[in-house]
Amino acid sequence: MYLPDFEYYAPATLSEACDLLEKLGPEAKVFAGGTDVLSKMKQELLFPKAIVSLKNLGGLSEIRLGNNNDVIIGAKATHNNLIDSPVLQEKYPSLCNAARQMANNQVRNIGTVGGNIVNAVPSADLPPLLIALGAKIKLVGATGERVLPLEDFFTGPNKSVIEQDEILTEFIIEEQPFTGSTYIKFALRRSGALAVASVAAAVAMEGNVCRKARIVLGAVAPTPLRAKKAEEMLTGKEITDELLEEAGSAASKESKPISDIRGSEEYRRDLVRVLTGRALRKAINEGHV
Amino acid sequence: MGDNYEVIGKSVPRIDGVAKATGRAKYTGDLKFPNMLVGKILHSPHAHARILNIDTSEAEKLPGVKAVITHRDVPSTKYGLSPARWDETIFCIDKVRFVGDKVAAVAAVDEETAYKALKLIKVDYEVLPAVFDPYEALKEGAPQIFEEYPGNVNTEIHQHFGDVDKAFEEAYHVRRDFFSGQRTYHSPLEPHASIAFWEGDKVTIYCSTQSVHYLQYHLARVFGMPMGNIRVLKTHVGGGFGGKIDPTGLDFSAVKLSQITGRPVKMLFDRKEMFYNNRGRHAQYMELTTGVTKEGKILGVHANFVMDGGAYTGLGVASAYYAGALLTVLYDFDNYKFDMVRAVTNLPGCGAQRGHGQPQPRFAFESHLDHIAEDLGIDPLEIRIINARKPKTVTINDFRVDSYALKEALEKAREISGWRDKKGKLPPGRGIGVGNGGFVSGAGYPCYRTDLPQAVAIIKVHDDGSMATLYTGAVEIGQGSDTVLLQMAAEAMGYPLEKMRIVASDTDLATHDFGAYASRQTLMSGWAVKKAGEEIKDKILKTAAEMMLVVPEQLDVKQGIVFLKAHPEESLTFEEVARTYFVKYGQLIGQGSYKPPKLGGTFKGAAVGTSPAYSAATQVAEVEIDEETGEIKVIEAWDVHDCGMVINPALLHAQVHGAFYMGMGESIWEEVLFDENGDVANGNLAEYRMPTALDMPPVTSELVDSIDPNAPWGVKEVGEGATTPTMACLANAIYDAMGVRIESLPLTYEKVWRALKEKREKEKEKA
Repeated sequence: MYLPDFEYYAPATLSEACDLLEKLGPEAKVFAGGTDVLSKMKQELLFPKAIVSLKNLGGLSEIRLGNNNDVIIGAKATHNNLIDSPVLQEKYPSLCNAARQMANNQVRNIGTVGGNIVNAVPSADLPPLLIALGAKIKLVGATGERVLPLEDFFTGPNKSVIEQDEILTEFIIEEQPFTGSTYIKFALRRSGALAVASVAAAVAMEGNVCRKARIVLGAVAPTPLRAKKAEEMLTGKEITDELLEEAGSAASKESKPISDIRGSEEYRRDLVRVLTGRALRKAINEGHV
Repeated sequence: MGDNYEVIGKSVPRIDGVAKATGRAKYTGDLKFPNMLVGKILHSPHAHARILNIDTSEAEKLPGVKAVITHRDVPSTKYGLSPARWDETIFCIDKVRFVGDKVAAVAAVDEETAYKALKLIKVDYEVLPAVFDPYEALKEGAPQIFEEYPGNVNTEIHQHFGDVDKAFEEAYHVRRDFFSGQRTYHSPLEPHASIAFWEGDKVTIYCSTQSVHYLQYHLARVFGMPMGNIRVLKTHVGGGFGGKIDPTGLDFSAVKLSQITGRPVKMLFDRKEMFYNNRGRHAQYMELTTGVTKEGKILGVHANFVMDGGAYTGLGVASAYYAGALLTVLYDFDNYKFDMVRAVTNLPGCGAQRGHGQPQPRFAFESHLDHIAEDLGIDPLEIRIINARKPKTVTINDFRVDSYALKEALEKAREISGWRDKKGKLPPGRGIGVGNGGFVSGAGYPCYRTDLPQAVAIIKVHDDGSMATLYTGAVEIGQGSDTVLLQMAAEAMGYPLEKMRIVASDTDLATHDFGAYASRQTLMSGWAVKKAGEEIKDKILKTAAEMMLVVPEQLDVKQGIVFLKAHPEESLTFEEVARTYFVKYGQLIGQGSYKPPKLGGTFKGAAVGTSPAYSAATQVAEVEIDEETGEIKVIEAWDVHDCGMVINPALLHAQVHGAFYMGMGESIWEEVLFDENGDVANGNLAEYRMPTALDMPPVTSELVDSIDPNAPWGVKEVGEGATTPTMACLANAIYDAMGVRIESLPLTYEKVWRALKEKREKEKEKA
């Protein structure tokens, strides 16, 4: 395995980077942590003519509180930055835990949050919980910027709405109605394994009544998938074991898994059922974990 | 154990530990030589195809490419580790037989150029129908993979000892079960690597290998060279587990490319190429029938197996024999029938992997035995105690077993695992299981027919006695053999370990030895080392006696001090005696050689499974199952080993931990998968899932006292034997936890989930 030839750019500013991407066209690839790009290039799955590295762009890896208690996560923050962030540990420890479940420590040390999203891999660990928390993303392009819900970002495996000249710069998690959130990953060993199925849940509880719920499934559809029927089932209802089981079954029906070397469609569908119940229970009972 | 010894029986740190832990240790892939080229092999993209034409002209034109070779440039001599089926050539001549088969090789100024050159080699193939399943391969009308194996039957074994049919007639209970195993791969951390360079008519090969001897032998045979013109040596090796005992395409290609270019050529496998080279564990399909008395005593066993050999044989004939041969060792029974068909398929060739041929049959037999115990209402551990072989016995297939403490191992495992408090008493989803295993302490006969000794060792004491060097052909591949053999040398000489150095596994500078496989080095290389050390000791005592005006019998030497046994204060240092010897007689040298006595019977295949000594092991494991998802957690494991005298307890326990780790991976996670074209689908460490440190449970490793009379100081093996009970003990624990048996390896989460789902559905139907 070897890296094919490519041109390398490391622009100093964001606008320079966007201009470069526009100029170079679709054969240019953005490079942040590189954990995905480099390995795909070595496996001859990706042949970019140019690499535009974000390494010289400052200020994109901060995790901070913004206006109105918004949590702002710079797209260049690594998974380990998330895990170690006092802001997240205080506000959404569930995100720290989700980040901790990704790959292994070496990858978490260099792989960025932005990369985990822009790759648009259905089994990625961060999208389900970020979507459940209603995260928005900022995309900066050569001619301007736009903010959109992360939920609207993915269009298929390795496909999203990002334009050629756009760079994902930050995540915005607005102050939540949710009282609890969590991410449960089911993988075939305890570290360094992709999700066979995963479920993120966020719930707004008032006593034992669920005012609002979000359930997002990973690795069981071409994109991270909201289980909206299951969510509706819970909204405004008093939580019972039965209801949680029904929600699990509903989510299972909403999932669209495929069979591959990690698991059959049938297995994944049942995992969604089980994991949905567990994620909801955890978010209801334990807060943002 | 070990109290009467100065150097052995002690957990001294391994001599290569600091170099490895600090990253200073250089492996073959780290080595650089002036003007060195990089070579790569072109692999077949088809599982079965006729080669119509190979055009290398474009590749040769690429700047930086120094040589391109195909079958036209190398001998067509067939080879294979075991001479019974030489069926592999350096490069494919008329057809390719699996995705990954060797078609051509290039040498270029760097790796990138070499890879680019591979893409420029044009091969015209006529694709042939391929077969990936051994049962399909054995069917009439299946694609024929080799002319020499009609019906794709590579090896057929039919052995019958005693009278199994009669035993079944007389039995109180006869039970038949069927189990299957999977293809697994050794996955050593260090990829295979080979560097070759020529000086005149002599070639030197640095290789990440388990045997410098076999590589030298096969290179000499295939290239028609005298063995003396081939020097094979190695640096540090990052694991082998059976996957580095066969010569590889890297070795042959590097030698030829280096000869053509006149420059050193380095070749490495990447991870996926390692899966192509394979020689990993065969998938076995195992039908077992056993007859027992009401009390659980085994009367007779019929093992009826099929194994998927893949494309080339390598050591596979031995694997096939091992699968059945060693089933007779653990439990004592008088009637045994073993039928085996090893089929060739269009998948990478299989070979020896830790426990060689035996772990899957042990999984099958130990699972089968648990069913029998359950049928009879006997505790699974108890039925094993009832049948455990006794020492100083001979198996029905003529293996002499002198020391054997399986019963003691079982009893100790029962005690330390808390078996009595746990079996049948654990909460739902929890289970405990037992499995037994063991292995040969060195194969009684080498891989090819020869009268060479198994091992030779030389110890040379430095002129002034301040240092001694052990020369051995034994191969340190991470298991600790350099350290252990030095401990043995120092003990035998009466010399301090700190003053010893080793020159090992170098066919020019060190001595003959067949290498690291079949768990042979501690016993076999150890014998040669002990004898060499004793010769030094003898010479030291004689010289000291002359100096002290006593007779040698009055003297002893320990830790570098020669002393009068009756008055230990009257002493000389080893150094001054050694120097005197040097002045009077020349270099102080001791030599030892070991060849086992004739072992085994005279029937066909009688040699496989013979050994001077057999280890025995019991493992108990406790597991927890998530009944909704099928996830398996291995909570804790216990291993009790009869491995004879222990030279280095820390290294021994490390072997047990490593063996359990590897067996656990094969039990639950590991399986080489193929796509519909027969290409390896998970040839990387992300999707070929070996357990991580986080998956590893606490392991307690204990010993039972045992000294084997046929071994130096009574040693036996541990490295492979400790892998053989693992699959069964986990399978039995999982069965105990869920009450349904999964009959195929690996026991994946999904299989557990499915089995539990089916069980619930059945229960529902009944209700």
